[in-house]
Amino acid sequence: MTNAVIKTIEVCRYFGEGETLVKAVEQVSITIEPGEFTAIIGPSGSGKSTLLHLVGGLDNPTSGVVELSGTNIANMSGAQISDFRRDHIGFVFQAYNLIPVLSAEENIEYIMLLQGIAGPARRQRVQDMLELVGLNDLGSRRPNQLSGGQQQRVAVARAMASHPDIILADEPTANLDSKTGIALLDVMKELNETHNMTFVFSTHDEKIMSRASRLIHMEDGAVVRDERR
Amino acid sequence: MLIIKLALRNLFRNTRRTLLTVLLIGCSLSALILTDAVLLGMVDVMIESLTKTLSGEAQVHRQGFTDNYDVDLYMPESASIESQLENDPSVAAYASRVISGGMISSSYNVGAGIIYGVDADQERHLSKLAAAITLGHYLEDANDILIGEPMAELLEIKLGDRVVITQAEANTGELSQALFRVAGIFKFGVRELDSNIVFINISQARKILGIKQGSHEIAILFHDVSSADLDPTGLLSSLTDDTTEALGWRALNKDIAAMLEMTNYSSLIVGAILFFLASLGVINSMFMSIYERIYEFGVAKAIGTRPFDLFQLIMVEALFLALLSCILGMSVGAILGEWYATNGIPLGEMEISGIAMNNNIPTVLASHQFTNFPVYVILLTLTAALYPARFAANIIPTDALHRSL
Repeated sequence: MTNAVIKTIEVCRYFGEGETLVKAVEQVSITIEPGEFTAIIGPSGSGKSTLLHLVGGLDNPTSGVVELSGTNIANMSGAQISDFRRDHIGFVFQAYNLIPVLSAEENIEYIMLLQGIAGPARRQRVQDMLELVGLNDLGSRRPNQLSGGQQQRVAVARAMASHPDIILADEPTANLDSKTGIALLDVMKELNETHNMTFVFSTHDEKIMSRASRLIHMEDGAVVRDERR
Repeated sequence: MLIIKLALRNLFRNTRRTLLTVLLIGCSLSALILTDAVLLGMVDVMIESLTKTLSGEAQVHRQGFTDNYDVDLYMPESASIESQLENDPSVAAYASRVISGGMISSSYNVGAGIIYGVDADQERHLSKLAAAITLGHYLEDANDILIGEPMAELLEIKLGDRVVITQAEANTGELSQALFRVAGIFKFGVRELDSNIVFINISQARKILGIKQGSHEIAILFHDVSSADLDPTGLLSSLTDDTTEALGWRALNKDIAAMLEMTNYSSLIVGAILFFLASLGVINSMFMSIYERIYEFGVAKAIGTRPFDLFQLIMVEALFLALLSCILGMSVGAILGEWYATNGIPLGEMEISGIAMNNNIPTVLASHQFTNFPVYVILLTLTAALYPARFAANIIPTDALHRSL
């Protein structure tokens, strides 16, 4: 009996048809266990972001099964999948992760408001999350008053705030300089180790690869190597 | 609360665009308020001009008189009607008239006209006859006659000249003549009145027609013009029986009343055009705002925002846009409307459907302009926002995330 956070079975995702058919993801079957710090790596166009979107319920597979915490998310309706993402998945994107008109605190609070968490608990958790990512004093700042690295830390804090089963990060360090990228990764690695939070990255950043406990290599939409460390 | 905070902040992310959209919708609302205020003012002026120039707000006649103005159809007991009018609290003024067709001859020319025999004192309070005299004076002596400018030109006469009126007597039909001296030249500004009517004293008119007493018409002015429609004291109905009829100005001027009714639709048409254009502006503005934030919406949906939450957000933004526009539109409409209510809109001298419009038209502000019209604005803005809101709600996160990076 497995308690996999993510399980994909022969997942395919095709775009276009006929001569313009692109097989972005082809027959991918992977399993991610709780507490893993996994990087999906490969050259541009290898299908790593598409796979990340599929396991995050942002996209539907052409065929195959995607299970998140034991639930098949392939056939969920718009509102159902939204609720599922809200409660089970945290996202960190490459850039512009935050709602620009809300402060760092409000951005973190936003997802908990969607979850219907009561005010005092919500505000306490916002402070806890800001402390986790080392931004205690910057909660009232809006995204445009934060550096790129600080914005990504707020995005991580927001992703953690909903207490998800897994955090999916799509090229989170792509827009950061090397030093800021390392600092962000250290925060995420610490969260992984201290809170047993499961992280899956789509990346070709060497810094992430060197810290990952597992590397899933993709080429032309298929997994060509699955390397555990 | 978060949705309200988000909507308000989003609205002012691009202040210039929001203000331009608010200006567009707000100006449409103020234009509609002003258009309606001008139309209401114009209707009031037209009604006042129609009723106060000569005809009054209601008239009493012998049944059938207005069909062909038969000189035989006079009201012999008009004195008792006058006494009833004298005692009715809703009546401000009344004037008895003897009306008949006749020939007016000068030394140089002859013309046909309608001879109004009027009680000089009563008429002074009811019509604008005294005020319309441009040369000479009002009716003073028994043989005074007042003639309109065009007729004076036709007859080639001036003040003090003599004219002869020839008429058929009532009941017998025998021809009767009388000599008058031109005491005054008048100009109502209504071609039909100025060219065709002359005024003499009612006693002389009765004498020519061989009527000892009575009159053809009693014109009435009320303290409140609406009494002509509502008849609050039952006066008009009590004066209507088998022999006499008392009619308000709408019944007496059916064509004009219908035309005035049509002005209500004018506001509707102007409003529809203005708001159709404003709606296009709203759709454009909302779409631009959505396209700018498409990546943001992708992220919002990715982290668990439901499609309906985004739909709500856009609709609340549209609601705030409409509310701001209403505040602007009502303020501008009230300020301009109030200013023109005091100073009037100068239209010069003009005549519409035989009604002289030679006064400034004061706008009339009414409560419905500040209650109904803003509600229409809010509803139309929300309707215009439905499509952009639906578009935002249906954004597919992966498409949004790919499209904007």
